[in-house]
Amino acid sequence: MRSIWAVAVNTIRQALRMKIAAIFVVLLLVLLPVLGFTTTGDGTLKGRLQTFVSYGLSLTSILLCLLTLVASVYTITSDIEQRQIFTVITKPIRRFELLFGKLLGVVLLDAGLLVLFCAIIYGITAYMPSFYAATEAERTEAANEFYTARANLVLPDLDVSKEAAEDYGKLKATGQLAQFYPGFSEKEILDQLTKRRRLEKRAAPAGHELLWEFENVRPLDPGERLFIRFKYDVSVNPPDSYVYSRWLVGDYRQIKYGTPIVTPIYEPPMRKDPIRTFREIEVPADAVAEDGYLAVAFLNVTLNNMVVIFPLEDGLEVLYKADTFTANFIRAALLILLRLIFLACLGILAASFLSFPVAMMFCLAIFVTANFSGFVLESFSYMSDSVYTVYSYTLKWVIWLLPQFDKFNPAKFLVPGRLLSWSLVARVAGLVVCVRGFLMLLLGLLIFSFREIARIVV
Amino acid sequence: MEYAVETISLTKVFSDWWGRDKVYAVEDLNLQVRYNEVFGLLGPNGSGKTTTLKMLLGLLYPTKGKTVVLGGDGADPKINARIGFLPEESYLYRYLNARETLDFYGRLFGLDRQVRKMRIEALLDMVGLTAVANRAVGTYSKGMARRIGLAQALINDPDLLILDEPTTGLDPIGTRQIKDLIKKLAERGKTILLCSHLLADVEDVCDRIAILYGGKTQAEGEVKELLQQTSKRQIVTDAISDGAVEKIKQIVQAEHADCEVTSPMDKLETFFVKTVAEAQRQATPTSGAFSTTQIGEFLAADKAQDSILDKLVSAPAGHESLSETPKTEKVAPVETSEPKPDEQLLGRLRTAEPATPEKQVDTSEVESLPDAAAGQEKIKKRVLDQLTGKPTSGDKDRESSDQGKAGDPGDA
Repeated sequence: MRSIWAVAVNTIRQALRMKIAAIFVVLLLVLLPVLGFTTTGDGTLKGRLQTFVSYGLSLTSILLCLLTLVASVYTITSDIEQRQIFTVITKPIRRFELLFGKLLGVVLLDAGLLVLFCAIIYGITAYMPSFYAATEAERTEAANEFYTARANLVLPDLDVSKEAAEDYGKLKATGQLAQFYPGFSEKEILDQLTKRRRLEKRAAPAGHELLWEFENVRPLDPGERLFIRFKYDVSVNPPDSYVYSRWLVGDYRQIKYGTPIVTPIYEPPMRKDPIRTFREIEVPADAVAEDGYLAVAFLNVTLNNMVVIFPLEDGLEVLYKADTFTANFIRAALLILLRLIFLACLGILAASFLSFPVAMMFCLAIFVTANFSGFVLESFSYMSDSVYTVYSYTLKWVIWLLPQFDKFNPAKFLVPGRLLSWSLVARVAGLVVCVRGFLMLLLGLLIFSFREIARIVV
Repeated sequence: MEYAVETISLTKVFSDWWGRDKVYAVEDLNLQVRYNEVFGLLGPNGSGKTTTLKMLLGLLYPTKGKTVVLGGDGADPKINARIGFLPEESYLYRYLNARETLDFYGRLFGLDRQVRKMRIEALLDMVGLTAVANRAVGTYSKGMARRIGLAQALINDPDLLILDEPTTGLDPIGTRQIKDLIKKLAERGKTILLCSHLLADVEDVCDRIAILYGGKTQAEGEVKELLQQTSKRQIVTDAISDGAVEKIKQIVQAEHADCEVTSPMDKLETFFVKTVAEAQRQATPTSGAFSTTQIGEFLAADKAQDSILDKLVSAPAGHESLSETPKTEKVAPVETSEPKPDEQLLGRLRTAEPATPEKQVDTSEVESLPDAAAGQEKIKKRVLDQLTGKPTSGDKDRESSDQGKAGDPGDA
């Protein structure tokens, strides 16, 4: 343990004294305050905050990612190329201990720098309202939509594969497939049928109602407010492009079972909302039952004379303040740290068998791919069947090994003030660090343990 | 455990990218280095010396054959803990200063903070880098780097010291100091495997040598045996008259042998060292290294003794009264070279007796202590006895002569 620590301290010294870290530190120390004073966004306080946090965090994350890769690859490859390793591994230290020490050093350096830069970003966001002498309205807007951690509950996608398969069977039996879907493959037709069935569950003809029940709704404070955010789609465009509706929000079970009303049920007056536009209904958070149950009912009033549909992706969600901005910010920083740990493991794997330039190219290629892996994975799902089969047995596994950085981008949560839950952080920790990072580290350790250190390969 | 280092038909073949054999760096090498001996591995460049050392330490894997180092595998951390290694160049972390460098290696050996501190100061003093200890190692000259490299090889008080061309880059004085150091370490019971192509160095310090060429042993044996010209005799006298010389010549001619009379020359090395020592006495300032040539006290002759010494130094405030602590410190410096017992040991080892008599003597001494007091007291006494030599009648005399030697720079 003592020798691991000695190596870790030496690694940090190397990164600091060889000025590898210095370049990144100076760059960030200059750029972050500059960003703080120059970003304007849409001109409002919220806009400024969102732009600053988005750019600030992304910049910190990218620069620290690069630093991690350079530091972890350099610390090992330079030891081998400049041969200090001859005097190190001939001491009573096992090779895996040496690599662990290097990893620990890089991660500690990362953690220290991350704390420093996140503190700067946090400080600037906290004092931004005073810098710009924001108006009261702007401050309220920022408090509601930025300095918060709102959880969002979305409608679950119901499993309709059985119904879709039945539809397909019927169409096939009656020989209507070619008529309705000329030139489509079976998979494409099934996709369309599934989508239709799903939309059906989210559609209300005139005079009909839709009821959604949510569980595990945990507002931070019952005195806060809930927001129901929705968007309409319609079968036939109404002449004035408006939809009239009635809503009920609260513990529906009290009505269903006829029990005395304990938690209040809110019924806002009849609404008139434009179609295909996001709208929000604000309701006191005490509408949520003690066990975290909340029901939202929508009535398509007969006045409308058309079918109202809530689109699949973002038709309706319930938002509520679930945590403070500070806690959310800390979790966002943790998310970055997890990414850095993964990259440190990657760097060590690469350095265990490659020279510095090659290892750096290898790591950067993976880093870039990881940043766009969501896009890459998606693009593969549009391939023809035969190519897809080949892909699913080969590349898919390789790409699976890469973490999806774009999916877990911390700015994505902080900018709209969305809750970044502990469970998500834990999941990323498990998937990215414990599974993928550990696999890479293990592979690196294996290669390094059996490698002939003094062997010069030209 | 008969040999400190042994290689058994050791072979290393470097193959090219396609796996085809290219170079036989070491071929069927059988080396035996005995305990407490200075063994020199000689050979021209590319003869496989360094490759052999690297295989001993697990930096390269043998293609065929095996190595045994201190009775085990040279890559095993337990064995590594007893080895000091100086590679062909002092590969150091440029950004660390001398003290940090030694501290880093001390930590790798798991040494306690106090032990590290004590040893670092002793070693810096020994290699003459105390004055520049806070400068980054990257700014050192080659000779200074060599000195710090040697210091790092000694920080664990190793039983076996593997030195790859220890004197390259050093000035003649540094070379002289290193050679003296090697001799002193050997006197203290260390085994030294040394690899060089500087023949003068090897000749001065090695007990036995092996000459490698093309990865094979070409000659092996004791230096004296290999070099002594048994067909010739040399007589060295003080300055005598020409008449006496003539008489001697006549005697030799009567034996039908040739005779040549000259005045012996000083070695250039001796002259150089003398000249610089003179300049030093006149205190000419220098920016380079200045060694006191005082050997690190912790570099003990016996492992057990050393660890007890460390314990005593690292835990001065035990349940013992404070007044006793200075006593150990005062006595510790006396523990310098003790030529007599070591030469006996050397002699026995040369006659291939595997026993290590020192230890046996120790235990008998402890057992024969008149009063078995508290355990701590006993250990301390034993250490003190060891440090001052056997408690015989001539003890005092020897002690004083040792002290005189240790303080005398001319000893170097």
